[in-house]
Amino acid sequence: MMLSLGPIIFGLILGLVIGSQIKLNVSDAHFTLGAFVIVLIAGIIVAWQSGNYPFYTDLPVSTAFLSALIGIFVGKLIFARSK
Amino acid sequence: MSQGSMILKLISLPISIILICLGVMTILGGHITPGGGFQGGAMIASGIILSILVYGLGNSPLELSHLYIEVLESVGALGFIIFGLIGLFVGGFFLYNAGTDLLNVVPSAIQNVLHYPDVTNAGIIPYLNIFVGLKVFVGLSSIVIAFAGFKKIVEESE
Repeated sequence: MMLSLGPIIFGLILGLVIGSQIKLNVSDAHFTLGAFVIVLIAGIIVAWQSGNYPFYTDLPVSTAFLSALIGIFVGKLIFARSK
Repeated sequence: MSQGSMILKLISLPISIILICLGVMTILGGHITPGGGFQGGAMIASGIILSILVYGLGNSPLELSHLYIEVLESVGALGFIIFGLIGLFVGGFFLYNAGTDLLNVVPSAIQNVLHYPDVTNAGIIPYLNIFVGLKVFVGLSSIVIAFAGFKKIVEESE
């Protein structure tokens, strides 16, 4: 099994870049930790149903989608600032 | 200028996050599946636009600052030009695919650095997709942010 690192690395980077702009204290809809756990579960289901790219045989889920999702959450936790 | 109801406000940010992930997936699959930088960037921008339309400008959890837009727009354009110039100096043509090197003119060290790490032999094409995606994402988002800002100014002046 050959792990394709490209989508994992660059999905994570793009997710970090975009996730750094999420600010939760400006909206009047309150998002708790549970809301993001639901988003994560929904994202895993979407990644599973999408499947990986053609010729990528490493994992049955879309690694680019999953790494972007993880990157957004990590970017929000580390880099996002309150407004 | 917030227009959305409570249900819209509860569901928009999760849908925006999923849309952004689908856009990233489209960008990174540009060399092997339909899609690419422009389409994926437009999908990411649609996530930002959905958030701005529902929550309103100034109240949106996904809102891009001026500096952020400026930096990403510049990185997208400069990255594309730099990869083109690398092809020009190393291979003899602007945007020559130095990561794949079909003409066997590029030293193997440079070829290994520029080679995208996956099972295909795509070379620099995924990197170009990423730069185009970044540029389109911030470009389309900034258009909608500007329109929302103009509308806000008009509403305040009335």
